[in-house]
Amino acid sequence: MLSLFVLSFWRAKGFELIPDFTLANYEKAVVSKLYRTLLVRTVLVGFVTAAIVVPIAFALSYAMRFVFERRGQLILQLVLLSLFSGYLVRIYAWRTILGKQGLLNSTLQWLGLINEPLEFLIYSNIAVVITLSGLLLPLAVLPIYSALLNVSRDQMEAARDLGAGRVHLIRTILLPLAMPGVRTAFAFAFLLAAGDFVTPTLVGGTQSLLIGNIIADQFRGIGSNWPLGAALAFVTIAIVLVIYLAVVQILARVTR
Amino acid sequence: MTGKRRSQWIAGLFVLAVLTYLYAPIIVIVLFSFTTSPRLSMPIEGLTFDWYRSALDNPLILSALTNSLVLALISAVAAGIMGAAFSFGLMRLKRPHVREALIGASLLPAIVPLLVIGISLAVFFRVLGMPQGLINTAIGHLIVCLPFVVLTMNARLETFDFSMLEAARDLGATPVRTFLDITFPLIRPSVVGAALLAAALSLDEFVITWFNIGNQQSVPVLVWGMMRRGVDPSINAIATLLLTLLVGLVICSNLLGRKKRS
Repeated sequence: MLSLFVLSFWRAKGFELIPDFTLANYEKAVVSKLYRTLLVRTVLVGFVTAAIVVPIAFALSYAMRFVFERRGQLILQLVLLSLFSGYLVRIYAWRTILGKQGLLNSTLQWLGLINEPLEFLIYSNIAVVITLSGLLLPLAVLPIYSALLNVSRDQMEAARDLGAGRVHLIRTILLPLAMPGVRTAFAFAFLLAAGDFVTPTLVGGTQSLLIGNIIADQFRGIGSNWPLGAALAFVTIAIVLVIYLAVVQILARVTR
Repeated sequence: MTGKRRSQWIAGLFVLAVLTYLYAPIIVIVLFSFTTSPRLSMPIEGLTFDWYRSALDNPLILSALTNSLVLALISAVAAGIMGAAFSFGLMRLKRPHVREALIGASLLPAIVPLLVIGISLAVFFRVLGMPQGLINTAIGHLIVCLPFVVLTMNARLETFDFSMLEAARDLGATPVRTFLDITFPLIRPSVVGAALLAAALSLDEFVITWFNIGNQQSVPVLVWGMMRRGVDPSINAIATLLLTLLVGLVICSNLLGRKKRS
């Protein structure tokens, strides 16, 4: 709640850093071609990440809730524990795994499956998406799993006894009931992926920098420009929120 | 029956694949903190503790570790007390609408990218004229920790029997006495568990720290600097040590929560 207060504060004070009240930063943020490219890429990476993470989280929650009845709790604990295994460490580890001479390439070469290292694995958008998905999956599982807790096994049994097939069951009963959880999970994955700058720095190349990198650079580093960074952040937040709301609308219409 | 067996197999394989995906990075780091080859590749040539030695030889590690532990302690105590008070107050609220709204508001920081929280705080403190440093960072950590503390406290307070407090009051106990003799002993495991969680979150926090700590060090900030400079196997060693600490804290926190429930 404190942060909400600070955030609302920021909106006004962000511009006070510059002596005169100007919209020049916003103009720069919107007009610059570089920033526009980065914004589009950020939205795409965030969207693809969310599109990978949410279905996996749903399938995992489904398995934990309805297939493994008692061991499901243990699996959940393991999934959540991975959240506390070091944020920087996990990103760095993916560089170790995906690198040109990294674990995956060297193992494949050692096994004789490939002759040349697969170069697209590292310093690419693919590397960024793989890493972000791993980071955000546990966070997406949490809301979906708790939404599925509201669906009782009896309801599922009853529908099955009435002859509903598995796909039909998931589509007509489970998805609508789990929708609030799916929505939250999508929000987590999309918003947090779009706001990350550590992952593109460590596993992304020059062709996969995200808007977060530019914003972060405006606040720390040589030639930093706080007001420009603030303007960029607000433009990004606005765009990401609009897209998020649009996706939620579409999802609601599809599952109705 | 065979159909059920088969779907269990498929689900099992799927769960295994996901867990591998989540844990592969961690296993890799721990493994390569002990291997001789500085190039992180297969096959493994030999085992060594050298990287741990060079990690501890790093002149900055001591100040980084001290700062990180101070921040973790502040976060644990402050987030523990504030979070417990907040969710205790929530549970006593009669109106469900207000309660839901307050819970939602308290969880909001969890969904805002850390980058946004980090730079917002940096701007906020700059406007106040506070130089960057540990105090600013500690406040930032508190914001990150509170939603998680409130979430765990809410889950654990759901079974709390508030009528006991009324009974104590009816029997003539003062509010302070009631708190010391009844409330606190009952909620202590939950509060300590939530505080340990806050300590773990604080130890691992990088983004907010990065924008607010100025030119001071913390373990993640130090590691970040090393990572950007290139491949240095002592990163794996520091990371493994940090990992052990984090997992230990989280497991302790979980065990404390479980004891109370039984």
